[in-house]
Amino acid sequence: MQQILYLIQKEFRQIFRDKPMLFITFFAPVVQMTILGFALTVDVKNIKTVIADYDRTPVSQEICRRFENNSYFAVKGYIEGQTNLREKIDDWQAQLAIIIPKGFSKDSERRMRPEIQIIVDGLDGNSAGIALGYAQGILADYAAELLTNNLSPTAYQRNAGSVEPQTRMWYNLDLESKNYMVPGLIAVLLTVVSMFLSSMGLVREKEIGTLEQLMVTPIKTWQLILGKVLPFFILGFFALALMLAVAFVVFQLTVAGNLVLLFSLSALYLLSTLGLGIFISTLAHTQQQAMFISWFFMIFMIFMSGFLFPIANMPEAWQRATYLNPLRYYVNLLREIFLKATPVEFLWIEIIPLAIFGLVILSASAMKFRKRVS
Amino acid sequence: MKSRIIPIFKKEFIHISRDFRTLMIVIAMPAAMLFLYGYAINMEIQNIDLIVLDRDKSPESAALTRKFEGSKFFTVSQYNGPESQLETFFNDRRARAILIVSSDFSKNLQRQPRSDVQVLIDASDPNAAQAIRNYTNAVFQSFNADLGSRGVFEIETAIWYNPALKSAYFFVPGLAALILMMISALLTSIAIVREKETGTMEQILVSPIRPIEIIIGKVIPYILLAFIDLLIILVIAHWVFDVPFVGNIGFLLAASLVFIFTALSLGLTISTRAETQQVAMMAALLVTLLPTIMLSGFIFPLESLPKILQLLTYAVPARYYLVAIRGIMLKGNTLMQLLPQISVLAAMSIFLIIVSAKKFKTTLES
Repeated sequence: MQQILYLIQKEFRQIFRDKPMLFITFFAPVVQMTILGFALTVDVKNIKTVIADYDRTPVSQEICRRFENNSYFAVKGYIEGQTNLREKIDDWQAQLAIIIPKGFSKDSERRMRPEIQIIVDGLDGNSAGIALGYAQGILADYAAELLTNNLSPTAYQRNAGSVEPQTRMWYNLDLESKNYMVPGLIAVLLTVVSMFLSSMGLVREKEIGTLEQLMVTPIKTWQLILGKVLPFFILGFFALALMLAVAFVVFQLTVAGNLVLLFSLSALYLLSTLGLGIFISTLAHTQQQAMFISWFFMIFMIFMSGFLFPIANMPEAWQRATYLNPLRYYVNLLREIFLKATPVEFLWIEIIPLAIFGLVILSASAMKFRKRVS
Repeated sequence: MKSRIIPIFKKEFIHISRDFRTLMIVIAMPAAMLFLYGYAINMEIQNIDLIVLDRDKSPESAALTRKFEGSKFFTVSQYNGPESQLETFFNDRRARAILIVSSDFSKNLQRQPRSDVQVLIDASDPNAAQAIRNYTNAVFQSFNADLGSRGVFEIETAIWYNPALKSAYFFVPGLAALILMMISALLTSIAIVREKETGTMEQILVSPIRPIEIIIGKVIPYILLAFIDLLIILVIAHWVFDVPFVGNIGFLLAASLVFIFTALSLGLTISTRAETQQVAMMAALLVTLLPTIMLSGFIFPLESLPKILQLLTYAVPARYYLVAIRGIMLKGNTLMQLLPQISVLAAMSIFLIIVSAKKFKTTLES
């Protein structure tokens, strides 16, 4: 026990002397979180819109007004003629176009059901789908409004009723991206910090030869690993607390769920990342190699975690591969606890695989570490 | 001059072909990345688990449920327990949306012009929530049309260039920008710094070759490699991911050449400043990888970024190339339409080349 404490003390001294290391641990996550928290937004706003109004009546002008006053759309101008429209969309000046035909308001009064046209540039399928949904919503609302305004009570009898969905968005009322992205970002950054630190820390001792010196002391391998890993464990906790503070100060996000649960599950997750860190350190001979291998792991883990791209949309084989990714579980856990305050009894589907992964990778890399040493 | 560039060019090629790791990075990595991420990056929300709580149990409510079952976006299951239990469906993630039909649904439908049903959506993923709302609205519109109730006008929609709204159309050409940027900037920056580190740069410098000749000789092999990568990417994009190609291939290759040039000059600029391979690599990753992913419009729409980040994006070369490659491949854009983008890229590369050549000369003299 005493020996481990000495090791931990030594490790902390080393860390605090190493300015770049401290920088990576504390400063980088704060800066990255602030910038990326704003940058990673899937919100679709300011959709560049042009309108071709061939009708020019109060009804058609009301439609234009509704698009102009909606923050999702940025009306870039009014156009005439089909070729002009094609040019605008080809030239990336507009993503969406509304075409109101001549005689539109007269025809709708006469119940001739005129057609209003929405054209959308489908290149970016995701934002195109969302933009189209908004535009349809605005128009459908207006169409229904005109109907109820114009109908006499007897007309109800002839016209069948209609159903209106009352949609409630739970957990994220305003559909803000940051509410979803920031918890995921915390998960990713904690992974970066803990994996980089532990792999580089061990490899550096290899590089400068002090690992050999430690080996010839009567210290046991498990004590050595524990003494190496515990400080990073503590640093990881500090980084996590710091990032939660940033989430609160910069993004006004608080943890809806249980904070103790969040920290204990993070501790569980650190087993996996620190285990991976040791594993990487056994593969690498230089810090540069360690960095490269860590990068490789990181990119794979981030892409296949559901952090940016929903796992449910991936092909079957890809989805199966994500089960091997500890970050997948941790991203889910943080989002569930952060946003939905999900109690622990619903989280076992994440906790159990995470625990298994952590124990397996930690003991496997500890064994690999020992074998390589002897 | 020509005769002196060729030996440098040959030497660089021998270097590359001897270095197995680099070759692997150049040939295998783009293909692997494209396969891995081309399939992984998919924003099309499908198989939405919907739970229906039907308190009415009338032919009308059954018809509504059938409408949802008929939609390819929803996987419907029924639930009959107490309403207080509903949140557990969101907690254990068995449902992403819940439809609640109250017991007076069919009665209201006959009596009132408009009756309500409740839709609850788990909005923790806002992007998915928006898509789910759009899909439910579409189902209700079609249900209302079946009832004979329609607004006073029709809404006709047309989706251009990508009618099925496939993510691959958007992301696969985007990956091309990312891969070209990584290969060109990363490899050149390392190539020059390596010579500095091993000391062979001194040997080249004492030979009568002029700095500009060294740079050209060292850069041309990487242009060729990047071009090979581009071709691999285009073949996979078209034949594996079925991304259509409506534009002019010659124009696309020319525009890509300009972009490759910009990326290479960025790599050169880094290499003239960095002393070790490690620093060069870190710098290259920092100024190429992250901005190309985050601030180029590769994934996240530029219009949605905060103003200050939007300004930053003007300095990211990939921003311009993404418009060009997507425009040429999918919209059939012509040179006239892409003139602004291509001129910016050309200006950037000239600027970077001048900066790095100046720096190179001073290193030489000192």
